[in-house]
Amino acid sequence: MTDPTNDHRTAQAGPGHTGGGPPAARPATGPEQNGHGAGPEPGRGIFDKDLLDRCISCGFCLPACPTYALTGEETSSPRGRITLMRALETGRLDEDDPTLAEESSFCLGCRACETVCPAGVEYGLLLEQWRDHQWRGRHRPWLARLLMALVSRPWLLRLQGLVRRHARGGGSPAAKPETGPADQPVSLMLGCVERGLYPKVSRAVQQLCPEVTVPPGQGCCGALHAHNGDSRTGAELAEALGERLPGTVLTTAGGCAAHLAHHLGRDRVEELSEYLDRDGRRPTGQVTVDGRRARATLQDSCHLRNGLGVSRPPRDLIAEVADFVELPGADRCCGAAGTYSMLRPSDSRAVLDPKLEDLDRLDVDFIVAVNPGCLRQLQQSLRRRRSRVRAVHLAEFLAMASGPGTGGGTGSREL
Amino acid sequence: MDRTDLARDLAAIVGADHVRVDDGALAAYARDATPLFHALPQAVVLPGSTEEVAAVLKYATERAVPVVPRGAGSNLCAGTVPLTGGIVLALTRLDRILEVSSEELLARVQTGVTTARLADAAARAGLLYAPDPGSRTVSTVGGNVATCAGGLRGLKYGVTRNYVLGLEAVLPTGEIIRTGGRLWKDVAGYDLTRLLTGSEGTLAVITEVTVALLPAPAETGTGVAYFPSLADASRAVTDVIAAGIVPATLEFLDRKCIVAVEEFAGLGLRQDAGALLLFGDDGDARAVATHLGRIQEVCDRAGALEVTLAEDVARADALLAARRCSLPALSRLGSVTVLEDATVPRHRLAEMVDRIDEIAARHDLTIATFGHAGDGNLHPTCVLDPDDHEAVDRTHAAFAEIFAAAIALDGTITGEHGVGAAKLPYLADRLGADQVALLRRIKNAFDPAGILNPGKLGS
Repeated sequence: MTDPTNDHRTAQAGPGHTGGGPPAARPATGPEQNGHGAGPEPGRGIFDKDLLDRCISCGFCLPACPTYALTGEETSSPRGRITLMRALETGRLDEDDPTLAEESSFCLGCRACETVCPAGVEYGLLLEQWRDHQWRGRHRPWLARLLMALVSRPWLLRLQGLVRRHARGGGSPAAKPETGPADQPVSLMLGCVERGLYPKVSRAVQQLCPEVTVPPGQGCCGALHAHNGDSRTGAELAEALGERLPGTVLTTAGGCAAHLAHHLGRDRVEELSEYLDRDGRRPTGQVTVDGRRARATLQDSCHLRNGLGVSRPPRDLIAEVADFVELPGADRCCGAAGTYSMLRPSDSRAVLDPKLEDLDRLDVDFIVAVNPGCLRQLQQSLRRRRSRVRAVHLAEFLAMASGPGTGGGTGSREL
Repeated sequence: MDRTDLARDLAAIVGADHVRVDDGALAAYARDATPLFHALPQAVVLPGSTEEVAAVLKYATERAVPVVPRGAGSNLCAGTVPLTGGIVLALTRLDRILEVSSEELLARVQTGVTTARLADAAARAGLLYAPDPGSRTVSTVGGNVATCAGGLRGLKYGVTRNYVLGLEAVLPTGEIIRTGGRLWKDVAGYDLTRLLTGSEGTLAVITEVTVALLPAPAETGTGVAYFPSLADASRAVTDVIAAGIVPATLEFLDRKCIVAVEEFAGLGLRQDAGALLLFGDDGDARAVATHLGRIQEVCDRAGALEVTLAEDVARADALLAARRCSLPALSRLGSVTVLEDATVPRHRLAEMVDRIDEIAARHDLTIATFGHAGDGNLHPTCVLDPDDHEAVDRTHAAFAEIFAAAIALDGTITGEHGVGAAKLPYLADRLGADQVALLRRIKNAFDPAGILNPGKLGS
């Protein structure tokens, strides 16, 4: 404990008086570099001060961070990134500083740091504010811009559906919402990516939960925007979707669930596994492979687990229809991280690779995902590896157990 | 020295990928976990071998560039803040566990292995690495040795120094030395292993550590007692030890800490109590049950509001984890937490707690106290708003008084966090002028150019 002004004096007086000649290096301390001690710095208004002040730099987040695990460097840890954010906010670092650009993009945004932070730092929100600034206008990666433009156009989303058979299936139009068990209408959100890439997922949900309605004209929930430097549009899209989907919003994407819950309120949003779990509904049947009960594991969705605290329900559901085996580090990001796998493919693979090795050792038939991004990441990399493990979405997996339908049939393991 | 020249020379030693001179990296390495201290280095170097460490140090001594060794940067004494610039030597790449031997009951690890990884590796071999500082998931073994880290098991098991058998270290002038080794008995020469343990990176850079392990205890048990006040809890601690029990864990939290920890961990802790005493023991199952039962009786007699035993291992682990996160959890009360670790002889704990309360009240400050009751190691933590300059000043004044009070009670200014830059101004009060002068002569013998961690111990 030293007075911060003392701190400067010590520093400027130079070191090692008694230990020999003073080092030649120029003392680098000065009031302008002194964080809190130098007094309130005006701030650029990029970050919410309360959010930024929460961090006390204890470093408890370091072991939870996948990018810190890759580099071992402070700059790529949550604590280091918050130090960078503070330096940006106070003007100690230039707005165009290359390290700021690199680190705001290198972060996966998995929010694993939040779960181990005793101080309650809301890192996910800080990252959104950081990227809002860092990726403003033309600074945003072109691929992210393209994706955001695509999903902001509902007619394009509908077009995808026409091309790939409509994810809504033949089923119930929204005109007459049926009520769920809690006497509250339940609206299935189709998801902008999922409906195009994985239309079977929504159909599987309709098979499992016939009470849900699928309102037409759904847009993107805005999570993509919020995670890619446009949190305002992210919020607007979430609000708009909230108005189009009456009652409980049921989603099959952990990332969308966390984003919507933040904007619409936690009680309006449910991810599939928690929805099924809340009702105590148990899936029927079982998934078999070559006549025996299948072995399956789960890859958590980071935002579902770290943002919404949902980790047990999907495991319980899988265990009902197959032999569940826990994947070591299932709670760590798979490297998909929204657009990350497209924007930073080699880092994404570096994050994923140790997980695939663990998966090889596990000897399972299926790895179940609860988010389309994770599903895509796992499917692609398992195919590349010529792995016999098949990645499926939870909805499909449960539908597979309950009988013929969208899941590809009981026991089917065809790729 | 010019930054680009420095970068070029260092890159020639460790490779360009492991030298950072960008403003962002310098900002990130300008601080550790200590609030209010902040100074920019000129370069960050991440060596990949002991030989690279030696080459960097030799170079730095020749050019008189300061070098600040750093592990995870989780220390609370500004021990790794580069006060005078120079090189931050980040040792996180030296992260290999070299061996765990159940025959010899020892482990050999590189300096950057985290404490928890060492403990886990030992546990897999049925062994115990006893020191368990609160930051064990983050902190490195090298950092633990450099600060002689304590922890929750200090009373029964001692602290880091009791487990360091040998070190590999690099002198500031570039020589690689190995002190101690694999022996429990070895009196050949001055005990340099002990000298380097707790030397806070001012004498040499520790690159490899050989630690003693113990057979893992068969059973552990944990319980919680609530008291009307911290002073009551402190008296119960004295009674427990007087009853002839030396439990593995005796930790306490005051009411402010209980509330903050409960908010993070949601363990159902009782928030109307003035203090919580967390106790635990390990060993043979019968002995553990007997000890916990007796502690329960003693606490009841000492006026505990309630005493309960944790029903299972998961609950016990959750309680210990909650206790370890007391400090960051307290930051929910205010964004700057200034934590110290004044330590007094155990029987004077109650007196010290009263003094802290009185000092906090007089300076109009919120000071929450938790700590290791079993070994008299207190963690009074002042929670404040960083923009309130007047409060920052009052905090400094209050802690100066707390240190003086601890010394007056035959205690010390720091039990386990280290001196660093934060407590250097108070060191002479504790050691006296003759010892401070001796420290400087020792520092000079190791580090004639004065490059290693200047502005800290020995400066």
